[in-house]
Amino acid sequence: MIVAFLVYPVVYDLLGRSPLASEAAAFLPGLTFMIAVLYLGLFAMSFDFVSGYTGYLSFGHAAFYGTGAYAVVLATNGKIPGVPADMPFVLTMLLGAVLAGVLALAMGAVSFRLTGVYFAMITLGFAQVLYELVRNWGYVSPNPSEGATVDGGALEIGVPYVDSLGLAVGRLTGDSFENVLGTGFDVSATMTSYYALALVVVVCYFAMQRIIHSPFGKAMIAVRENEERAEAVGYDVFRIKMGAFAMSAFFAGIAGALFAGYSRSVSPESTYFFLVTADALIVTIVGGIGTLAGPLYGTVFHEWLGDVLSTEDDGIATYLRETVPEGLLTTDVGGVTFADVINSVVDGRAPLYLGIVFVLFVLFVPNGLLGTVRDRLGGTVAERTGDVLERYRR
Amino acid sequence: MTGDVVALAAAVPDVALLTDALGRFFQPSTFARLVVEGLGKAAVYFIIAVGLTLVFGLMGVLNFAHGAFAMLGSYLGGILVVLALAGGAGPITSIAFFVVVAAVVFAVMTVVGGALEVTLVRPIYDRTPTYQILMTFGIGLILEEGTRIAATLRGVQPEPPWLKARGTLPGFLETQYDVLGANVRGFYVFEIVLGVLVAVAVWLFLTRTLYGLYIRAGSEDSEMVEALGIDVRKAFTVVFGLGTGLAAVGGVLLMWDPLWGASVLLNIDVLLYAFVVVIIGGLGSFKGTLVAAVVVGVADSFTTWLFNTGIVTFSGLPEVTVFLLLVVVLIVRPQGLYGVEEVGGH
Repeated sequence: MIVAFLVYPVVYDLLGRSPLASEAAAFLPGLTFMIAVLYLGLFAMSFDFVSGYTGYLSFGHAAFYGTGAYAVVLATNGKIPGVPADMPFVLTMLLGAVLAGVLALAMGAVSFRLTGVYFAMITLGFAQVLYELVRNWGYVSPNPSEGATVDGGALEIGVPYVDSLGLAVGRLTGDSFENVLGTGFDVSATMTSYYALALVVVVCYFAMQRIIHSPFGKAMIAVRENEERAEAVGYDVFRIKMGAFAMSAFFAGIAGALFAGYSRSVSPESTYFFLVTADALIVTIVGGIGTLAGPLYGTVFHEWLGDVLSTEDDGIATYLRETVPEGLLTTDVGGVTFADVINSVVDGRAPLYLGIVFVLFVLFVPNGLLGTVRDRLGGTVAERTGDVLERYRR
Repeated sequence: MTGDVVALAAAVPDVALLTDALGRFFQPSTFARLVVEGLGKAAVYFIIAVGLTLVFGLMGVLNFAHGAFAMLGSYLGGILVVLALAGGAGPITSIAFFVVVAAVVFAVMTVVGGALEVTLVRPIYDRTPTYQILMTFGIGLILEEGTRIAATLRGVQPEPPWLKARGTLPGFLETQYDVLGANVRGFYVFEIVLGVLVAVAVWLFLTRTLYGLYIRAGSEDSEMVEALGIDVRKAFTVVFGLGTGLAAVGGVLLMWDPLWGASVLLNIDVLLYAFVVVIIGGLGSFKGTLVAAVVVGVADSFTTWLFNTGIVTFSGLPEVTVFLLLVVVLIVRPQGLYGVEEVGGH
């Protein structure tokens, strides 16, 4: 599966030059959207890490994402006391993640006395308080409700203080390489950002995977399945929950930092707001709650839908406008032309279809994409692929 | 967390302004005005939140589509008043028409809510509460986007509030009146009257009708009620429908409210406020919701005044106060002011 993510930019690039170029642009997500998949997917995975594995819905998860994002912006602008403005991005990213983890410990200390709906609500309350504070905090930028931007040059992902091992990332900026290794293939700045961010996300994914398959991860699942029994067996349930919450916040912080580092601007709406958590929740359900990689596929689906239904990067609407004959476009049915329908029902309407898909998933595919695939195969994809292939080889 | 410290430091008032303002604060007129305004807000919060709390109390479903129902109500009400009152009408006609509109919207949305419950929520009762949250959230998402599309197609801006609908607010509710020595906008008094009417109606329904009895009994122990031969599922549908209708009535009121107005943004904003009210009051408690609505409404009006007078320069004060109230109540008394301890955990 990781291979698919690795080759996607190259395939997309080649398709863009093939006769199918307009179809590819219309129906496949552009590279900038795939970059969004990376950091949003990491955030959704961190949400699933605590919500899917311990059963505690973390409705204030956006607070950690926002903390990571704002930490990077503030540190890079030299606004965090004691942190030099030229600190490498990788370190500010870790700083943001640690801050998010500490915040999670503070929130968890009072929140984990509650369960169920009450836990969801208190974390939501904390996140909304932070959202309002950040929105009105003049120190962040002159116009805090609009957010803040990173001053200065592109940020680098790589080994800190070693220039040759760093890759500058960022929207509309960053490193690019022409004619890589003499193959005649150019790596654009966007593609560089994609691979650099993907590196971080893959590392985080394996770290979370490792934790979940460790004894600690089994204890997390025990908490989800039956907290009282886990406690009776002798687990320190409170510490497990706090640990899981803090670790998940750490990765959410990294996701936020990646978002800030790449997009170079943050706003309260795109980081601390309740709907950011809601998006993570949606993609987690679509991908499969309680499967770590599921949210990533859910995010791919979400972003794909968002991309093909918007005109920002040549989506379906553009494709229809260009390919549908002019006569049909202007055909008038009761004062509404086909072009109007495209404009209002297709263009930028991703949330509607996402909502419909979401409801259908809750009703009919409660285990999500990956969960259902695993149920069908009778194990994780990696475990079962060999057997399935074996069957077809004969 | 350094951020909060700096934010709070910036919010510290200067002393001269503070003493001056405190002097004004203890004038009975200011105080009375703030209380009336707070009660007006409380009335709206109550109308919206009471449906949420009834649904939760009986069914254990935290309805994330509640804000969307209020939003839909505000648009439906807006369409009706724009059609009828845009030409201008006398005070009594407009009030009478408003009541009719509220009743129509209530009826329509009750049916819609009941239908949604039967088709979408009923199939997933046997799953964990998470899935009901997800289902209602998805419904809310679809309703919001559907409304956005419909509004845009009809040439109405979905995002700044719909001014044409708000413009039908009769002038006599717009002007200031002298209540108990305080200058109060007529609309707040109107809201309070309507809030009291709804509260009395819901209370009568709960205590004086057979269905109210089922609902109160079902909130205590729905399995026992079922064992006694009562069709709890039907009661679920009725309560979900009524909750939807009440939210929509609140939405109709918000359409005229000078601080809100009909817009798709109502979905999330109203939802968050309604959550705060029901959690503070205690999930499933009618009395708690009433008290919590008053607490939140008055806190909102006082903190808004603190900011408007310049005593506190922090513009997010009302919202922060409201959500801090939520957090503090959950820490001190997790089941809410009047809640029962077992409800809501799992």
